[in-house]
Amino acid sequence: MFKKILVANRGEIAVRIIKACQEIGIKTVAIYSKVDKAAPHVQLADETINLGDPTPVESYLNIPKIIKIAQDIGAEAIHPGYGFLAENPDFAQSCNDVNVKFIGPSPKVISLMGDKIAAKKTMEKAMVPVIPGYHGVEQDNAALVKEGKKIGFPLLVKAAAGGGGKGMRLVRSENLLEESIEGAKRESKSAFGDDTVFLEKYLDKPRHIEFQILADEHGNVIHLFERECSIQRRHQKIIEETPSPVMTPQLREKMGNAAVAAAKAVGYTNAGTVEFMVDGDLNFYFMEMNTRLQVEHPITEMTTGIDLVKWQLRIASGMKLSLKQKDLTQRGHAIECRIYAEDPSNGFLPSIGTLEKVEAPTGPNIRDDSGIYSGMKVTPYYDPMLAKLIAYAENREESINKMIWALSHYVVMGVTTNISFLKTLLKHQEFIKGNITTHFIDDYFKDWTVTKKGLPIDAIIALAVYDSIHSKKQEIVRYKETDPHSPWKHVGRWRVGGKGV
Amino acid sequence: MFINYEHENHVYNVSIERSENQFFITYNNTEYKVEAEEIKLGQLKIKIGDRLIKSVITEGGKEKFVFVDGEVFKVRPIELTGMKKTKKKEEGDLCSPISGKVVNVKVENGDSVKKGDILMIIEAMKMEYLIRAPFNGKVEKVNFKEKDQIEIGQKTVELAKSKEG
Repeated sequence: MFKKILVANRGEIAVRIIKACQEIGIKTVAIYSKVDKAAPHVQLADETINLGDPTPVESYLNIPKIIKIAQDIGAEAIHPGYGFLAENPDFAQSCNDVNVKFIGPSPKVISLMGDKIAAKKTMEKAMVPVIPGYHGVEQDNAALVKEGKKIGFPLLVKAAAGGGGKGMRLVRSENLLEESIEGAKRESKSAFGDDTVFLEKYLDKPRHIEFQILADEHGNVIHLFERECSIQRRHQKIIEETPSPVMTPQLREKMGNAAVAAAKAVGYTNAGTVEFMVDGDLNFYFMEMNTRLQVEHPITEMTTGIDLVKWQLRIASGMKLSLKQKDLTQRGHAIECRIYAEDPSNGFLPSIGTLEKVEAPTGPNIRDDSGIYSGMKVTPYYDPMLAKLIAYAENREESINKMIWALSHYVVMGVTTNISFLKTLLKHQEFIKGNITTHFIDDYFKDWTVTKKGLPIDAIIALAVYDSIHSKKQEIVRYKETDPHSPWKHVGRWRVGGKGV
Repeated sequence: MFINYEHENHVYNVSIERSENQFFITYNNTEYKVEAEEIKLGQLKIKIGDRLIKSVITEGGKEKFVFVDGEVFKVRPIELTGMKKTKKKEEGDLCSPISGKVVNVKVENGDSVKKGDILMIIEAMKMEYLIRAPFNGKVEKVNFKEKDQIEIGQKTVELAKSKEG
């Protein structure tokens, strides 16, 4: 096992990794930009190195700087966390070049999975179902129409050079296919100077279900079941849970086997995630593979009892997986909510400022993976995710209730968060029934805003009491009822919540 | 004590009196009698009838944040005994803190007053609010007479500061 590693990340995930290292006796080196000098990961680590300039390219994305630090300080390995350099093949290669172990798969695998078309072709060869489509060189209309009919409807015509929906057409029936292809080509030509198009089957309101895998460097691969991550806002997951409400033992076995096959097909090592789209008839299709630890990994840890970060460290140090697929079981239900510094009443724009007070909820089976503290400044430099709250219970219903309780007791003041939005989602009837797709938020919360109900009376009372206790001013005197006709004299003192005097 | 809380562009006029751990809070013509204690800084346990309000309050800059029943509310307290922010503190605030009725005018044009002297008494919601001279000076103009209706923010008395100050 390693004696010392560098954690090339910040926030809650750096904290998570450092804790795992410390538990098994690995010394940790934290790196930080100057705005993070008091951050929790810096406070916790055994050694800390200042990167200076807070802009990501100068700090957490600066490969030469980080590699040099690792060498200077004698770190045997680097854990990249997620985001930043976690899926950067050049970074993994730079680590290899100086004999520092990159905790993750090989640069070759990261590159392959980063190329979405190449990844799909590899998966097709490995008999992993992919979304039916045509990505060939034949571009005349007749050939494309023929391929389109093979795929079936609805389908998407997509510009190869496309992005932002330009050169994209949703085609629901065969008679509209040719004109849609022409339209997409025209649009693509004028927008990107290239009229190459792809065809792809369109999944109506799919679910996003992914499988966690662990692969050692000795050819052993296991999966640790699924995570349902359909609740997304603009492709950003915000609530994840396991097991998936639609999962059956048969489907789990089929998808799990496909995930393991996918990992084996590319010679995957370390922890990874195979993402699938699942349609209304429970057909599943490979979407992509994330070659790193996922944000939502804790829900898998809660339901399997397995520490994924410790296994990442063990695998990277060359140890064999001692876990066998047949011995793994899932128990209970776990939900994760991502707490973002975003203002739901202001278009979910990131909110910045000082976290005047932070108090996380505690209780049985409530886990708070957080990178924040009272007095911390939230800066505009990095991702606005503040913390992840995870609730675990015997079943889905209890898990939802526990999460709502925990969110209701999460005090974050000073910076606006999405906590109230998360609670609203969890209380939605369709969510409770498990009827969720990646369109859930668009379908039910498209124009959702925070209802401005004003200050509730309880808040007014609390404020007044607080100010009365903390004020030194004594300017006000009780009204002297000198007016003999005052109605107050006759009705007495009307009071809410207590006996009159 | 009168306090105005501004929340989402709405101003809440609240008055409060305290006697030991009993608080009398008046808002919107209703008086709430509560028992309260601050368990630790900013953490309040408030008993109202047989109901309990648990709240956490913290201050940040010019704002206060209230956590109650799982929600966070941001308010900007405008302490009525305080000064207008645009004015220098020593100039004081001679504006009415509340809409109400003038019940007593203690000075006339030309009077010399000392800092702390009561100039006018305004009544609203069963409370009297005392306008005091913020510095030694001479009354140049009294803008209201007894029984006049006065609106929030209206200047009560024009006061010229004495040189010896």
